[in-house]
Amino acid sequence: MPIDQLDLKRAMAGDERAMQRLWSQHASHIDAVVRRLCDDPELAADISQEVWMQIFRALPSYRGDSQFGTWAHRIAVNRTLNALRKIRRIAKLEVDIEDDSGVTENDSDRTFLAESIEQAMTRLSPGARAVFVLHDIEGYTHGEIGEELGITPGGSKSQLFKARAKLRKLLANLRDESTTVAGKGKQHVAPV
Amino acid sequence: MSHLSEEKFDELVAAERARELEPLNDWRTIAARAREEGLIHESSSRGWVLGQPWMQAAAAVLLLIGGIAIGRTTIGLPSATESSAGNTTVPTASTEPSSSTANNVTFASVDEASATLRRAVSDYQRAAEFLASNASPGSRDSLSIYSARAAALDKIVNATESALESAPRDPVINQYYLATMGARAATQQLVARPVGLRGF
Repeated sequence: MPIDQLDLKRAMAGDERAMQRLWSQHASHIDAVVRRLCDDPELAADISQEVWMQIFRALPSYRGDSQFGTWAHRIAVNRTLNALRKIRRIAKLEVDIEDDSGVTENDSDRTFLAESIEQAMTRLSPGARAVFVLHDIEGYTHGEIGEELGITPGGSKSQLFKARAKLRKLLANLRDESTTVAGKGKQHVAPV
Repeated sequence: MSHLSEEKFDELVAAERARELEPLNDWRTIAARAREEGLIHESSSRGWVLGQPWMQAAAAVLLLIGGIAIGRTTIGLPSATESSAGNTTVPTASTEPSSSTANNVTFASVDEASATLRRAVSDYQRAAEFLASNASPGSRDSLSIYSARAAALDKIVNATESALESAPRDPVINQYYLATMGARAATQQLVARPVGLRGF
Protein backbone atom coordinates (compact mmCIF):
# COMPACT_ATOMS: atom_id res chain seq x y z
CA MET A 1 0.00 0.00 0.00
CA PRO A 2 1.48 3.36 -0.97
CA ILE A 3 2.15 5.68 1.90
CA ASP A 4 0.33 8.96 1.99
CA GLN A 5 3.01 11.62 1.63
CA LEU A 6 1.00 13.93 3.80
CA ASP A 7 1.00 11.37 6.57
CA LEU A 8 4.76 11.15 6.30
CA LYS A 9 5.13 14.91 6.51
CA ARG A 10 2.77 15.11 9.43
CA ALA A 11 4.45 12.22 11.19
CA MET A 12 7.81 13.92 10.77
CA ALA A 13 6.31 16.97 12.46
CA GLY A 14 5.18 14.81 15.36
CA ASP A 15 1.50 14.48 14.48
CA GLU A 16 0.26 11.53 16.51
CA ARG A 17 -2.57 10.59 14.18
CA ALA A 18 -0.26 10.48 11.19
CA MET A 19 2.22 8.40 13.16
CA GLN A 20 -0.54 6.04 14.17
CA ARG A 21 -1.61 5.62 10.57
CA LEU A 22 1.95 4.70 9.57
CA TRP A 23 2.13 2.24 12.42
CA SER A 24 -1.26 0.73 11.59
CA GLN A 25 -0.30 0.13 7.99
CA HIS A 26 3.08 -1.43 8.73
CA ALA A 27 3.06 -2.83 12.25
CA SER A 28 2.07 -6.36 11.31
CA HIS A 29 4.81 -6.62 8.69
CA ILE A 30 7.51 -4.88 10.73
CA ASP A 31 6.66 -6.71 13.92
CA ALA A 32 6.63 -10.03 12.09
CA VAL A 33 10.30 -9.85 11.26
CA VAL A 34 11.11 -8.86 14.84
CA ARG A 35 9.06 -11.75 16.16
CA ARG A 36 10.72 -14.24 13.81
CA LEU A 37 14.24 -13.12 14.61
CA CYS A 38 13.57 -13.45 18.34
CA ASP A 39 12.17 -16.63 19.76
CA ASP A 40 10.93 -14.88 22.91
CA PRO A 41 7.59 -13.02 22.49
CA GLU A 42 8.21 -10.68 25.43
CA LEU A 43 11.64 -9.78 24.15
CA ALA A 44 10.18 -9.29 20.68
CA ALA A 45 7.57 -6.89 22.06
CA ASP A 46 10.27 -4.86 23.79
CA ILE A 47 12.44 -4.78 20.71
CA SER A 48 9.46 -3.84 18.57
CA GLN A 49 8.94 -0.74 20.71
CA GLU A 50 12.56 0.21 20.15
CA VAL A 51 12.20 -0.43 16.45
CA TRP A 52 9.22 1.89 16.17
CA MET A 53 10.93 4.59 18.20
CA GLN A 54 13.89 4.34 15.84
CA ILE A 55 11.62 4.52 12.81
CA PHE A 56 9.97 7.68 14.13
CA ARG A 57 13.31 9.19 15.15
CA ALA A 58 14.74 8.49 11.73
CA LEU A 59 11.71 9.73 9.76
CA PRO A 60 13.35 13.06 8.87
CA SER A 61 16.12 11.11 7.16
CA TYR A 62 13.69 9.17 4.96
CA ARG A 63 14.15 10.52 1.45
CA GLY A 64 11.74 8.32 -0.40
CA ASP A 65 14.47 6.51 -2.34
CA SER A 66 12.77 3.23 -1.47
CA GLN A 67 9.29 2.27 -0.35
CA PHE A 68 8.58 3.33 3.20
CA GLY A 69 7.89 -0.29 4.15
CA THR A 70 11.25 -1.40 2.78
CA TRP A 71 13.04 1.41 4.57
CA ALA A 72 11.28 0.65 7.85
CA HIS A 73 11.91 -3.06 7.43
CA ARG A 74 15.65 -2.42 7.21
CA ILE A 75 15.51 -0.46 10.42
CA ALA A 76 13.61 -3.32 12.06
CA VAL A 77 16.20 -5.89 11.01
CA ASN A 78 19.16 -3.72 12.06
CA ARG A 79 17.63 -2.78 15.35
CA THR A 80 16.61 -6.33 16.18
CA LEU A 81 20.00 -7.80 15.37
CA ASN A 82 21.70 -5.08 17.40
CA ALA A 83 19.38 -5.75 20.32
CA LEU A 84 20.08 -9.47 20.13
CA ARG A 85 23.80 -8.78 20.08
CA LYS A 86 23.52 -6.50 23.11
CA ILE A 87 21.81 -9.11 25.21
CA ARG A 88 24.32 -11.70 24.01
CA ARG A 89 21.79 -13.81 22.21
CA ILE A 90 24.08 -13.21 19.31
CA ALA A 91 27.31 -12.60 21.15
CA LYS A 92 29.47 -13.05 18.08
CA LEU A 93 27.40 -13.88 15.14
CA GLU A 94 30.39 -14.52 12.93
CA VAL A 95 31.67 -17.22 15.26
CA ASP A 96 28.19 -18.64 15.61
CA ILE A 97 27.89 -18.88 11.88
CA GLU A 98 31.36 -20.22 11.22
CA ASP A 99 31.39 -22.98 13.80
CA ASP A 100 28.01 -24.32 12.68
CA SER A 101 26.86 -24.57 16.29
CA GLY A 102 23.47 -23.37 15.25
CA VAL A 103 22.73 -26.32 13.03
CA THR A 104 24.48 -29.28 14.66
CA GLU A 105 22.15 -31.78 16.18
CA ASN A 106 22.07 -32.33 19.91
CA ASP A 107 20.34 -35.06 21.91
CA SER A 108 17.11 -33.19 22.44
CA ASP A 109 16.85 -32.50 18.70
CA ARG A 110 16.81 -36.23 18.01
CA THR A 111 13.45 -36.60 19.74
CA PHE A 112 11.97 -33.18 19.05
CA LEU A 113 9.19 -33.15 16.51
CA ALA A 114 7.98 -29.76 15.38
CA GLU A 115 4.48 -29.07 14.14
CA SER A 116 5.30 -25.84 12.36
CA ILE A 117 8.15 -23.83 10.91
CA GLU A 118 7.83 -21.39 13.79
CA GLN A 119 8.22 -24.16 16.32
CA ALA A 120 11.10 -25.75 14.45
CA MET A 121 12.96 -22.44 14.23
CA THR A 122 13.25 -22.38 18.02
CA ARG A 123 15.85 -25.15 17.61
CA LEU A 124 18.11 -22.98 15.49
CA SER A 125 20.75 -20.75 17.00
CA PRO A 126 20.03 -17.02 16.73
CA GLY A 127 22.56 -16.73 13.91
CA ALA A 128 21.23 -19.60 11.86
CA ARG A 129 17.72 -18.46 12.58
CA ALA A 130 18.58 -14.99 11.31
CA VAL A 131 19.99 -16.37 8.06
CA PHE A 132 16.95 -18.57 7.49
CA VAL A 133 14.41 -15.85 8.36
CA LEU A 134 16.11 -13.17 6.32
CA HIS A 135 16.57 -15.35 3.26
CA ASP A 136 13.64 -17.70 3.10
CA ILE A 137 10.97 -15.62 4.82
CA GLU A 138 11.98 -12.02 4.20
CA GLY A 139 13.55 -12.46 0.79
CA TYR A 140 17.01 -11.02 1.44
CA THR A 141 19.83 -12.08 -0.85
CA HIS A 142 22.93 -13.73 0.56
CA GLY A 143 24.88 -10.56 -0.16
CA GLU A 144 22.43 -8.50 1.87
CA ILE A 145 22.49 -11.03 4.68
CA GLY A 146 26.26 -10.95 4.64
CA GLU A 147 26.18 -7.19 5.12
CA GLU A 148 23.67 -7.41 7.95
CA LEU A 149 25.43 -10.19 9.81
CA GLY A 150 29.03 -9.43 8.97
CA ILE A 151 29.63 -12.71 7.16
CA THR A 152 30.43 -13.62 3.57
CA PRO A 153 27.68 -14.44 1.10
CA GLY A 154 29.16 -17.93 0.86
CA GLY A 155 28.93 -18.31 4.62
CA SER A 156 25.31 -17.24 4.51
CA LYS A 157 24.56 -19.74 1.75
CA SER A 158 26.27 -22.56 3.60
CA GLN A 159 24.47 -21.71 6.83
CA LEU A 160 21.14 -21.59 5.07
CA PHE A 161 21.65 -24.98 3.50
CA LYS A 162 22.38 -26.51 6.89
CA ALA A 163 19.56 -24.65 8.62
CA ARG A 164 17.06 -25.86 6.05
CA ALA A 165 18.32 -29.42 6.40
CA LYS A 166 17.89 -29.24 10.15
CA LEU A 167 14.43 -27.75 9.88
CA ARG A 168 13.36 -30.45 7.42
CA LYS A 169 14.53 -33.06 9.85
CA LEU A 170 12.70 -31.41 12.75
CA LEU A 171 9.56 -31.34 10.65
CA ALA A 172 9.87 -34.93 9.47
CA ASN A 173 6.70 -35.91 11.28
CA LEU A 174 4.80 -33.98 8.64
CA ARG A 175 6.30 -36.26 6.00
CA ASP A 176 3.29 -38.58 5.67
CA GLU A 177 1.04 -35.68 5.01
CA SER A 178 3.52 -34.39 2.49
CA THR A 179 3.48 -37.63 0.55
CA THR A 180 -0.23 -37.25 -0.01
CA VAL A 181 0.25 -33.85 -1.58
CA ALA A 182 3.56 -34.55 -3.26
CA GLY A 183 3.83 -32.92 -6.61
CA LYS A 184 1.04 -30.44 -5.91
CA GLY A 185 1.98 -26.79 -5.86
CA LYS A 186 5.65 -27.54 -6.18
CA GLN A 187 7.39 -24.27 -6.14
CA HIS A 188 10.67 -23.06 -4.77
CA VAL A 189 9.80 -19.68 -3.43
CA ALA A 190 13.01 -18.58 -1.84
CA PRO A 191 15.22 -16.06 -3.59
CA VAL A 192 18.55 -17.34 -4.83
CA MET B 1 17.17 -40.15 9.52
CA SER B 2 14.14 -38.99 7.54
CA HIS B 3 13.57 -35.50 6.30
CA LEU B 4 10.57 -33.57 5.16
CA SER B 5 10.63 -33.25 1.39
CA GLU B 6 11.98 -30.06 -0.16
CA GLU B 7 8.64 -29.47 -1.83
CA LYS B 8 6.65 -29.76 1.35
CA PHE B 9 9.18 -27.67 3.21
CA ASP B 10 8.93 -24.91 0.63
CA GLU B 11 5.17 -25.00 0.98
CA LEU B 12 5.50 -24.53 4.72
CA VAL B 13 7.94 -21.67 4.23
CA ALA B 14 5.60 -19.98 1.76
CA ALA B 15 2.73 -20.38 4.21
CA GLU B 16 4.83 -18.92 7.00
CA ARG B 17 5.78 -15.98 4.80
CA ALA B 18 2.13 -15.27 4.04
CA ARG B 19 0.94 -15.72 7.60
CA GLU B 20 -0.62 -12.60 9.04
CA LEU B 21 0.72 -11.77 12.48
CA GLU B 22 -0.74 -9.38 14.96
CA PRO B 23 1.35 -6.37 16.00
CA LEU B 24 3.40 -7.01 19.10
CA ASN B 25 2.20 -3.87 20.86
CA ASP B 26 -0.84 -1.66 20.77
CA TRP B 27 -0.65 1.92 19.60
CA ARG B 28 -1.11 3.36 23.08
CA THR B 29 2.09 1.69 24.21
CA ILE B 30 4.01 2.98 21.22
CA ALA B 31 2.47 6.45 21.55
CA ALA B 32 3.36 6.64 25.25
CA ARG B 33 7.00 5.91 24.43
CA ALA B 34 6.99 8.38 21.57
CA ARG B 35 5.49 11.04 23.79
CA GLU B 36 8.11 10.38 26.47
CA GLU B 37 10.84 10.90 23.92
CA GLY B 38 9.24 14.05 22.59
CA LEU B 39 8.57 12.49 19.21
CA ILE B 40 4.89 13.40 19.40
CA HIS B 41 4.24 17.11 19.42
CA GLU B 42 0.82 18.00 20.66
CA SER B 43 1.03 21.25 18.72
CA SER B 44 1.39 19.31 15.49
CA SER B 45 -2.05 17.78 15.65
CA ARG B 46 -4.82 19.47 13.81
CA GLY B 47 -6.23 20.87 17.00
CA TRP B 48 -3.67 23.62 17.18
CA VAL B 49 -4.80 25.13 13.93
CA LEU B 50 -8.11 26.18 15.40
CA GLY B 51 -6.83 26.53 18.89
CA GLN B 52 -7.01 30.28 19.18
CA PRO B 53 -10.18 32.37 19.00
CA TRP B 54 -8.73 34.90 16.59
CA MET B 55 -7.66 32.07 14.31
CA GLN B 56 -11.12 30.53 14.48
CA ALA B 57 -12.71 33.83 13.60
CA ALA B 58 -10.40 34.35 10.64
CA ALA B 59 -11.04 30.85 9.43
CA ALA B 60 -14.79 31.18 9.75
CA VAL B 61 -14.88 34.41 7.79
CA LEU B 62 -12.70 32.96 5.08
CA LEU B 63 -14.79 29.83 4.88
CA LEU B 64 -17.94 31.93 4.73
CA ILE B 65 -16.60 34.06 1.90
CA GLY B 66 -15.10 31.11 0.10
CA GLY B 67 -18.20 28.99 0.46
CA ILE B 68 -20.49 31.68 -0.84
CA ALA B 69 -18.14 32.43 -3.73
CA ILE B 70 -18.00 28.77 -4.66
CA GLY B 71 -21.73 28.49 -4.35
CA ARG B 72 -22.34 31.47 -6.58
CA THR B 73 -20.09 30.16 -9.28
CA THR B 74 -21.30 26.59 -9.13
CA ILE B 75 -25.05 27.24 -9.22
CA GLY B 76 -24.58 29.16 -12.45
CA LEU B 77 -25.13 32.77 -11.48
CA PRO B 78 -24.31 35.06 -14.41
CA SER B 79 -20.66 35.58 -15.08
CA ALA B 80 -18.66 37.44 -17.66
CA THR B 81 -17.30 34.28 -19.20
CA GLU B 82 -20.56 32.52 -19.87
CA SER B 83 -20.66 30.97 -23.31
CA SER B 84 -23.60 32.04 -25.38
CA ALA B 85 -23.33 29.15 -27.82
CA GLY B 86 -23.14 26.19 -25.52
CA ASN B 87 -24.87 27.71 -22.54
CA THR B 88 -21.92 26.45 -20.53
CA THR B 89 -21.14 28.18 -17.31
CA VAL B 90 -17.49 28.42 -16.47
CA PRO B 91 -16.90 28.91 -12.77
CA THR B 92 -15.01 32.10 -12.17
CA ALA B 93 -12.64 32.97 -9.41
CA SER B 94 -14.91 35.66 -8.12
CA THR B 95 -13.88 36.92 -4.74
CA GLU B 96 -16.65 39.44 -4.33
CA PRO B 97 -17.85 39.17 -0.77
CA SER B 98 -21.56 38.52 -0.61
CA SER B 99 -21.87 39.46 2.99
CA SER B 100 -21.05 42.79 4.49
CA THR B 101 -20.18 41.00 7.68
CA ALA B 102 -16.80 40.20 6.20
CA ASN B 103 -15.82 43.83 5.93
CA ASN B 104 -14.93 46.46 8.52
CA VAL B 105 -15.36 44.12 11.44
CA THR B 106 -13.63 44.97 14.66
CA PHE B 107 -13.84 43.23 17.98
CA ALA B 108 -13.55 44.70 21.41
CA SER B 109 -13.00 41.39 23.17
CA VAL B 110 -12.37 37.71 22.69
CA ASP B 111 -15.92 36.96 23.77
CA GLU B 112 -17.30 39.28 21.13
CA ALA B 113 -15.11 37.67 18.48
CA SER B 114 -16.16 34.21 19.62
CA ALA B 115 -19.82 35.14 19.40
CA THR B 116 -19.27 36.50 15.90
CA LEU B 117 -17.49 33.32 15.01
CA ARG B 118 -20.43 31.21 16.10
CA ARG B 119 -22.82 33.37 14.10
CA ALA B 120 -20.54 33.22 11.08
CA VAL B 121 -20.33 29.45 11.20
CA SER B 122 -24.08 29.21 11.61
CA ASP B 123 -24.62 31.63 8.70
CA TYR B 124 -22.20 29.66 6.58
CA GLN B 125 -23.97 26.39 7.23
CA ARG B 126 -27.39 27.85 6.50
CA ALA B 127 -26.13 29.53 3.35
CA ALA B 128 -24.61 26.27 2.15
CA GLU B 129 -27.84 24.41 2.82
CA PHE B 130 -29.84 27.07 1.03
CA LEU B 131 -27.59 26.99 -2.01
CA ALA B 132 -27.66 23.21 -2.09
CA SER B 133 -31.46 23.11 -1.97
CA ASN B 134 -31.85 25.86 -4.56
CA ALA B 135 -29.51 24.62 -7.23
CA SER B 136 -30.59 25.76 -10.64
CA PRO B 137 -31.84 22.74 -12.57
CA GLY B 138 -30.77 24.39 -15.80
CA SER B 139 -27.11 24.84 -14.90
CA ARG B 140 -24.87 22.52 -16.91
CA ASP B 141 -21.94 21.86 -14.64
CA SER B 142 -19.06 19.68 -15.56
CA LEU B 143 -17.67 16.88 -13.47
CA SER B 144 -14.29 17.40 -15.09
CA ILE B 145 -14.20 21.00 -13.94
CA TYR B 146 -14.95 20.04 -10.37
CA SER B 147 -12.43 17.23 -10.51
CA ALA B 148 -9.79 19.61 -11.82
CA ARG B 149 -10.66 22.06 -9.10
CA ALA B 150 -10.44 19.34 -6.45
CA ALA B 151 -7.04 18.31 -7.78
CA ALA B 152 -5.83 21.92 -7.74
CA LEU B 153 -7.11 22.40 -4.21
CA ASP B 154 -5.34 19.19 -3.17
CA LYS B 155 -2.08 20.69 -4.40
CA ILE B 156 -2.72 23.91 -2.51
CA VAL B 157 -3.46 21.93 0.65
CA ASN B 158 -0.22 20.03 0.17
CA ALA B 159 1.73 23.23 -0.37
CA THR B 160 0.25 25.00 2.63
CA GLU B 161 0.75 21.96 4.83
CA SER B 162 4.39 21.85 3.81
CA ALA B 163 4.70 25.54 4.60
CA LEU B 164 3.08 25.00 7.97
CA GLU B 165 5.84 22.61 8.90
CA SER B 166 8.27 25.52 8.73
CA ALA B 167 5.92 28.15 10.04
CA PRO B 168 3.19 26.42 12.01
CA ARG B 169 1.77 29.58 13.52
CA ASP B 170 1.87 31.89 10.56
CA PRO B 171 -1.64 33.36 10.33
CA VAL B 172 -1.59 33.99 6.58
CA ILE B 173 -0.61 30.43 5.72
CA ASN B 174 -3.14 29.12 8.21
CA GLN B 175 -5.89 31.19 6.66
CA TYR B 176 -5.10 29.92 3.19
CA TYR B 177 -4.90 26.40 4.52
CA LEU B 178 -8.25 26.54 6.24
CA ALA B 179 -9.98 28.30 3.38
CA THR B 180 -8.62 25.74 0.95
CA MET B 181 -9.70 22.87 3.15
CA GLY B 182 -13.22 24.29 3.23
CA ALA B 183 -13.29 24.78 -0.52
CA ARG B 184 -11.93 21.30 -1.09
CA ALA B 185 -14.61 19.76 1.11
CA ALA B 186 -17.31 21.65 -0.79
CA THR B 187 -15.83 20.60 -4.12
CA GLN B 188 -15.58 16.99 -3.09
CA GLN B 189 -19.27 17.09 -2.25
CA LEU B 190 -19.97 18.41 -5.72
CA VAL B 191 -17.91 15.69 -7.33
CA ALA B 192 -19.67 13.03 -5.29
CA ARG B 193 -23.15 14.38 -5.97
CA PRO B 194 -25.18 12.83 -8.80
CA VAL B 195 -25.42 14.79 -12.03
CA GLY B 196 -28.21 17.33 -11.84
CA LEU B 197 -27.70 17.95 -8.14
CA ARG B 198 -24.32 19.64 -8.40
CA GLY B 199 -25.54 23.14 -7.83
CA PHE B 200 -23.58 23.18 -4.61
